[in-house]
Amino acid sequence: MKLLSMRTSRRGSGLDTTIGWRILSWIVIALLLLFTVVPLAWMLSTSIKSQVAAMQQPPRWIPEVVTWDSYLKILDPRQEGGQRFLRYFWNSLVVSIATTLLSISVTIPAAYAFSRFRFHGRNALLLVILMRNMFPAVIFLIPLFLVMRTAGLVDRHASLIVTYMTFGLPLSIWLLKGYYDNIPRDLEEAAQVDGATQFGAFLRVTLPLSAPGIVAAAIYIFIQAWNEYLYALTFLNSDRRLTLPVGLQAYFSEFITDWPGLMASSFIMSIPVVMLFLILQRFFVQALTEGALKS
Amino acid sequence: MRASAPLTESKAPSIPLLQRAFQNHSFVALLYILPSLILLVFVVGYPIFYTILLSFYSTPAISPDRYWVGLSNYTDLLRSRTFWEATKNTLYWTIPSTFGAFLLGVPAALALNQTLLGRSLLRSVFLIPWVISTVAAAYVWRWLYHSDFGLINGYLMAWGVSQRPLLFLDSTDLVIPSLVLVNVWKTFPFVMVMTLAGLQAVPSELLEAASIDGAGTVRRFFAVTLPYLRNVFLITFLLLFISNLEHFTIPWLMTGGGPARSSQIWVIDIYTTAFRGLAFGLASAYSTLVFGIVLLFAILYVRLLTRREGVEG
Repeated sequence: MKLLSMRTSRRGSGLDTTIGWRILSWIVIALLLLFTVVPLAWMLSTSIKSQVAAMQQPPRWIPEVVTWDSYLKILDPRQEGGQRFLRYFWNSLVVSIATTLLSISVTIPAAYAFSRFRFHGRNALLLVILMRNMFPAVIFLIPLFLVMRTAGLVDRHASLIVTYMTFGLPLSIWLLKGYYDNIPRDLEEAAQVDGATQFGAFLRVTLPLSAPGIVAAAIYIFIQAWNEYLYALTFLNSDRRLTLPVGLQAYFSEFITDWPGLMASSFIMSIPVVMLFLILQRFFVQALTEGALKS
Repeated sequence: MRASAPLTESKAPSIPLLQRAFQNHSFVALLYILPSLILLVFVVGYPIFYTILLSFYSTPAISPDRYWVGLSNYTDLLRSRTFWEATKNTLYWTIPSTFGAFLLGVPAALALNQTLLGRSLLRSVFLIPWVISTVAAAYVWRWLYHSDFGLINGYLMAWGVSQRPLLFLDSTDLVIPSLVLVNVWKTFPFVMVMTLAGLQAVPSELLEAASIDGAGTVRRFFAVTLPYLRNVFLITFLLLFISNLEHFTIPWLMTGGGPARSSQIWVIDIYTTAFRGLAFGLASAYSTLVFGIVLLFAILYVRLLTRREGVEG
């Protein structure tokens, strides 16, 4: 199976005939790799420098003295700065995990219904859901802010969770619907003959089979929630409620910009999403491409 | 007694009624979809309606009242020079960003598609900018662009390319190209992944047949591969174009729309009108206008998708 897919993808390119093309593609890869990696590497390099060393010109990639001060400063819970940073981190974690769990539990039944039932307005509803993320965030910003203010949710994490839940909806519904479409109804019916209820059959047969889709959708939702900036900027205002993306700004604009500290924070902020992505990237890439291309 | 009689009476037929309701697919489907639906109505439907409504009102910052002003928010907006400046900036930001991502993303996909060695590792590395927070990306690039201590100016001066530091984010000429580069860095992996997925759909038999007929590499690409990628390109282009059109974070965190409003794009303009100027009515008219424009592209996207479905089904 693996051999087969490698073969087809190799042939699939149709470009692998001459040495010249191979060299050219390695040049392209090398240049793009440089473009991709330099900013990331510079972030790391700066984060282990002292404030003075960071401002040295011409630039040095490896500082004469490596210092972990910036990391200690943001991660040490005994210091006031560390407490703040860890609180932002915790807030981000709470919001992202709550969003992911709630979003998935809302999506699964919806995707199942779209896959299994034919009902009035089904296609129209699917189209509307698909288009949800096409709309500019700003159009929702003003009314949602006013709604949240009326509901007393401004400056509460609930306002973000409710909003973020709708981000992943289109992709998750499309993705999971695709899975359910491919799971034969006979399987569920067989379980029902064996005495399971329809819901029991769904739980025991269909749900486990769609696990890869659920994982993919969950990563996607988590990453989106973790990285979101605009709504968090608008809905939250007290410092102890801020999530990381907005928190960083509040944290650093008070002083002269502490670049090593900012780079260390950016790095720590990126770790959860990059780790999730690297561990589960097979699912994630599939979610990304299928969500947009397949219908 | 009198009260209980009709109660038992109504209870008896209600069980089969309920059963019938559960056998009715529309009813069960509705139950399953209801949570999503409520969420969408509350977070998507109602705000759209409310924004459009609010766009016909004047909302003075100092009082909670609002006054019906008809279309005057729209006419004010379309007559203001700042709106047209923002429109120019938005196009100048959106179009190069989108094409730039293709310019790097498509070659990346084609190159990756013919290397077997370390392909999935390379793909992961390329995708990191896309996965990390836009906020982190914006800060890193602000630091790279820094006029006194930035890496880029450091090398430009050390290599003698430039005598004095280039003001990437502080000059009206360079600011948008500089921001576009950040956006391209962040989004070209998306184009790459989509193109890679599209390349998997090209039937190898066709490529072999073309090669037997004597078609060279370039010819095969244009005659066989490209037609298969056309749809993927169109969809990816639209998705990226729309998301660039409504992008906020990179310019906001790197320049705040400056210097001298030279990177003030639509969404930043709307945000400052609403949350700095507290002119919610005017900002709503602005949002509605942008919404209308984006909607055109969104409809195009959906039509493309459903057309595909029609061909396949």
